[in-house]
Amino acid sequence: MAVELKQVSVAYGEQGALRRVNLRVERGEFVFLVGATGAGKSTLFKLLYGERRPTEGEVWVLGQPVHRLKPRELPFLRRQMGIVPQDYPLLPRKTVWENIAYGLRAIGYNESAVRQRVAQVLALVGLNEQARQLPSQLSGGEAQRAAIARAIANNPPLLIADEPTANLDPDTSWEIIELLLRINLRGATVIVSTHNRTIVDRACQRVVAMDRGQILSDVPRGGYPMELDRLYASVLL
Amino acid sequence: MIDRIRFVLHETWESLLRNATMQAAAISTACIALILLGGAGMALYKLDAAASALPSQFEAEVFLKMTATREQALQLKAELESWQAVAQATLTPREVAWEEQKQKLAADVNLADIPNPLPDKLTVRVRDPEQLPAVAERIQQSPLVDEVIDSRAELQTVLSLSRLVRWIGLGAGGLLLLAALILIYNTVRLTIFSRQREVRVMALVGATLRSIRLPFILEGMTQGLVGGALAATLTLLAAALLSDYMTEQWAFLRDLPPGLPPLVVLVGLPTLGALMGGLCAWWATLRYVRI
Ligand SMILES: Nc1ncnc2c1ncn2[C@@H]1O[C@H](COP(=O)(O)OP(=O)(O)O)[C@@H](O)[C@H]1O
Ligand SMILES: [Mg+2]
Repeated sequence: MAVELKQVSVAYGEQGALRRVNLRVERGEFVFLVGATGAGKSTLFKLLYGERRPTEGEVWVLGQPVHRLKPRELPFLRRQMGIVPQDYPLLPRKTVWENIAYGLRAIGYNESAVRQRVAQVLALVGLNEQARQLPSQLSGGEAQRAAIARAIANNPPLLIADEPTANLDPDTSWEIIELLLRINLRGATVIVSTHNRTIVDRACQRVVAMDRGQILSDVPRGGYPMELDRLYASVLL
Repeated sequence: MIDRIRFVLHETWESLLRNATMQAAAISTACIALILLGGAGMALYKLDAAASALPSQFEAEVFLKMTATREQALQLKAELESWQAVAQATLTPREVAWEEQKQKLAADVNLADIPNPLPDKLTVRVRDPEQLPAVAERIQQSPLVDEVIDSRAELQTVLSLSRLVRWIGLGAGGLLLLAALILIYNTVRLTIFSRQREVRVMALVGATLRSIRLPFILEGMTQGLVGGALAATLTLLAAALLSDYMTEQWAFLRDLPPGLPPLVVLVGLPTLGALMGGLCAWWATLRYVRI
């Protein structure tokens, strides 16, 4: 089991960001998390890497009880996860190359290992040409690929990406999803949140729909298009 | 390991380059605080040395008239020792005193050809400091005696000076040190805020709390260290100038024992600064660096 949420609630104000959420994701799965803004997708992701704590319930990631890990234990969990956050995925004053290298140095890679690893992931995401550019010089799609490259630099078994296709045109969005599917084919479990109906339809993967802090439906991989239609109608994508 | 150290130092350097004004404020306050503390420390050390070099509260120095013969001097010594209040009287013959004086001043003046201007001296020790004024008074009445010096007044001056320095130096120095600590804390806090994204990226890739905090702690230590080094330099410079001026004004100061060794100041103040800076930076990171 890569991820398991048991009766998880997160309280924010009266309504709460998550209410009694249950979710299981097997190792090697590719999962879309869909839902309107404010549905609780980011909150759910933050639970997975321990930036938020559940008010109630249990959060298990890669066999570890994240809901009761101490702050000093979180880094070792996060080294097994690739995280593409929704906001500020890149350091603005560092080049693409430096952005990826920075994370590796911070967890103790030596210079030659850093060089080797950065070159590998840049090739994987197709950003060799842009290695020396600053985030501000990149297109939206390139910036997302750089963020994904940084997240997978450590070769983690679990990758979570929070709305990596936000503000991207359809073709570029699909390129990003193709990249994530490729990373999934190499063995990593991938969970990605999105609003984008077209790419979800095209990818034919498991879809978990959220609305106002709850999971409304969970359509397995290869589910019927009708089910998806109902799902979209219910979460108003 | 080398790569690791390079990474941490580079991060520290990046931190220091932010908020130049804040850095300057923190460093200069630390510097002024440490100057006061260092200066007070040096002065106290010197005053302590001076106090212990002064004749004790039990002693009075009795200078005889030049006309008094050695025989009369010895008679007086015997008479004084017969008094109830006197524990001991010691004669320092004028030739011996002169020889000592010549040696002490040998570097500055050649006294070889000058006739001995010094009188015989009796050092009188009483059993109880309270009796010293009365004994001094009584000795003064002897026709053989030119002058009686009891050093209690001088000792009192030195001691009250020492108290003053302690209050002003340690009090003001302590207050300023507190201000410096708050400024360093605040500077580090602002750096942490200005590097929120770096902190987050490091946290997301799984950098340990300790390694995320270390550059900020080193930043605080550097501020304290630089402030302390500046303070040490300025304090020693001021002390050198002041002591030159004072020994020129009052030759007797040359007889005082040497002050605090410069090396102690040179190493002590920066170390103290670095420790304090590191401590409050550490405190700031505990509060503001979260993952
Ligand atoms: N830091 C916060 N403080 C208060 N409410 C928050 C905070 N973060 C999120 N929320 C609320 O929690 C709910 C879920 O937000 P979020 O997880 O960001 O949704 P999504 O990522 O699906 O857009 C929203 O109603 C949002 O307003
Ligand atoms: Mg979100």
